[in-house]
Amino acid sequence: MTDESMTNEAMTKSQMAKSQRIGEIVETSTTGFVAVSKTLHQPPALGSLVKVQIGGEDYAYGVVAFGTTTSPDPGRRAVPRASDEVYDEAIYAEQPQLSRVLHTEFTAVLVGCFEEGAIRQHLPPQPPRLHYDVHECTADEVCRFSERLVYFRLLLGTQGEVPAEQLLAAHIRQVYRARGRDAAWLERAARQVTSLLRDDYDRMMTVLYGIEPGD
Amino acid sequence: MVRKRLGVVTDGAFNAGLTVRLDAGVSTEKLRIGNFVVIEGEENRYFSLVSDMQLRATDAGMLADPPRDASPFISQALRGTTTYATVQVKPMLMMPRGAETDFVVDLEPPQPVRTIPMHFAELHEATENDFGAVFGHEDRRHFAMGTPLNMDIPICIDLDRLVERSNGVFGQSGTGKSFLVRLLLCGVIESGLAVNLVFDMHDEYAFGKESEDGVFVKGLKHLFGGKLLVYSLDEKAQARGGRGVDVTLQIGLNQIEAEDVLLLAEELNLRATAEANVGLLTDAYGADWLSRFLAMSPTDISEFCEQYSAHEGSLSALQRNLKRIERRPYVVPEAPFSAIDEMVAALDKGRHVILHFGRYDHPLDHMLVANVVTRRVRHLYREKAERYEQTQSPADKPRPLMITIEEAHKFLNPAVSRQTIFGVIARELRKYHVTLTVVDQRPSGIDSEVLSQLGTRITGKLTDERDIEAVLTGVSGRSFLRGALESLDTREQVLLMGHAVPMPIVVQTRKYDEAFYAAMGAGEKRSAQVDIAELFGE
Repeated sequence: MTDESMTNEAMTKSQMAKSQRIGEIVETSTTGFVAVSKTLHQPPALGSLVKVQIGGEDYAYGVVAFGTTTSPDPGRRAVPRASDEVYDEAIYAEQPQLSRVLHTEFTAVLVGCFEEGAIRQHLPPQPPRLHYDVHECTADEVCRFSERLVYFRLLLGTQGEVPAEQLLAAHIRQVYRARGRDAAWLERAARQVTSLLRDDYDRMMTVLYGIEPGD
Repeated sequence: MVRKRLGVVTDGAFNAGLTVRLDAGVSTEKLRIGNFVVIEGEENRYFSLVSDMQLRATDAGMLADPPRDASPFISQALRGTTTYATVQVKPMLMMPRGAETDFVVDLEPPQPVRTIPMHFAELHEATENDFGAVFGHEDRRHFAMGTPLNMDIPICIDLDRLVERSNGVFGQSGTGKSFLVRLLLCGVIESGLAVNLVFDMHDEYAFGKESEDGVFVKGLKHLFGGKLLVYSLDEKAQARGGRGVDVTLQIGLNQIEAEDVLLLAEELNLRATAEANVGLLTDAYGADWLSRFLAMSPTDISEFCEQYSAHEGSLSALQRNLKRIERRPYVVPEAPFSAIDEMVAALDKGRHVILHFGRYDHPLDHMLVANVVTRRVRHLYREKAERYEQTQSPADKPRPLMITIEEAHKFLNPAVSRQTIFGVIARELRKYHVTLTVVDQRPSGIDSEVLSQLGTRITGKLTDERDIEAVLTGVSGRSFLRGALESLDTREQVLLMGHAVPMPIVVQTRKYDEAFYAAMGAGEKRSAQVDIAELFGE
């Protein structure tokens, strides 16, 4: 799938269709959207890069910022169903209707768009459309998008359930993996982090500790 | 030529210097105070010196609590962003950049700085071309004194400008001042731009000796042979033979003047009344006052006191003290001035003279002889200069003379500098074509007026605050040079500043070794022709 010679212009609708469809948008705004995950219990990984079409050849990029699975009754918590013999996966086997009633949602914050044949790292002019599909980005797309690190600012500016620095750390980990453990890129990302968070030592260290390569 | 980039200018003022923020990958340890660096402005190139360095951090919280378990990854990320270094840089000279295709020789030479670059001008290491553009290349008129601290390029002083003014060589004891003086003398002798008269008070220059490291260093007589005459006070030195003494010098009582005696007030333990008494004696007896005074019996003294209303006690004490002069073996009742006159004639023909003291190593000897000889020399030079002014004939033009004295604070301290001949020479610049090279480890002891007349100063390490102040007297932009002075290594590193160099620079001094001897020997082929010309006339 990842063909190096493929240019952005060559991305056609059919190829869009080929990349993983992972959800459908149920709430949308200029800064981000909420989508219902196609697979129960499996929203896209925190910090991963996703995309959604916004018209013609253009699409918007987002970073997954939150995921949740709630009870079918909004406002009320799920009722405990485990017993001594039936727990975890067995509950779902015993009560198949759960799989139909429950749904998993995820939130994504917009960090860029692809318009007029080029990747831009600012908010798209229009919010994504309701009911449109959300697609996982391929490793190649992740590499291309993360060449420039300007969008880190957008990420750090978000205010959601997850503190922005945790989100950024998660995202950097995801990109690092997608780029095949690109150490040079990780260093660049670390410097960008220290530059952006120079006035907030604590938040900066939170991110840095979060992206330390384990090896 | 590609220069290595060090950082960008972020702040600064014309007087105070510029602040440069070092790039993330550049460590302060790669730089030294006093390094020669280049700032690329939009229109000009600024040749500058590093004068200070600071460490900074963007967040005070980080300094209070540095990351404890920082992995190399985190340290690397922090370095150069949250923690960074700045250097203070002082521009000294500027030169228009010119287009990429211009040859360096077509561009204007470096000028004193009159402006500063804008923000984010880049700072670079200096390259060989930069040194060459500023300091010139080695040739007959440019003598290599050493190399910059981290490169192998020769830094040259302009010998023409060196001999135009009086100069100073300073540094604590053990900083190799005698090596520096040897280098300078060799450079001047080799170029032939001036003649030298050296008062070799500690037997360092004329003949070879063993240095502190146990290496035998060649004397100037050995290097320059017939071009150099050695006059010695020590009659045994010539008798020993093989050492190369050319003339044994004697000093006559008739050659000693009031001023010489007064200069020795401290050495001879003279009282405050000495000046008055000597005045009376010179008034009464004229030129041979000293021999007559020393020959006086007690009755003669009382008669004199009555006649001239002098105090008998103080006059007797004076006689006792002055008898010490008479007792010096090289002092005779009467000596012809011709010995010194011949010395001056030799100087005139382009030969250099070293006055060797031998076993007469006492400050009394140094000061007495240096004063008497120099006074006579200058007197003759004054006559020559005046004759030249009248005739305007090139044959009459006196050769520039450089007189080297050590322990200069004894001759040039504020108390005596107005009276001694050395003080006079230092003040009159080059009126009669005579200049001084003062060598001292206590520049604070020298009269500040004299210090400010010194054109070129070569300084080794100094630690005394007053000495540093003294050496920088009359030098512009001193506050940052102070840092450079204090950071010198004890041996082999000196700061060159003043008239003979376009800008101050710290150098590793050239080694005085076989390679140097060979370089000096290149002139020996010429000396035979000089000798022939002298013997048989031009």
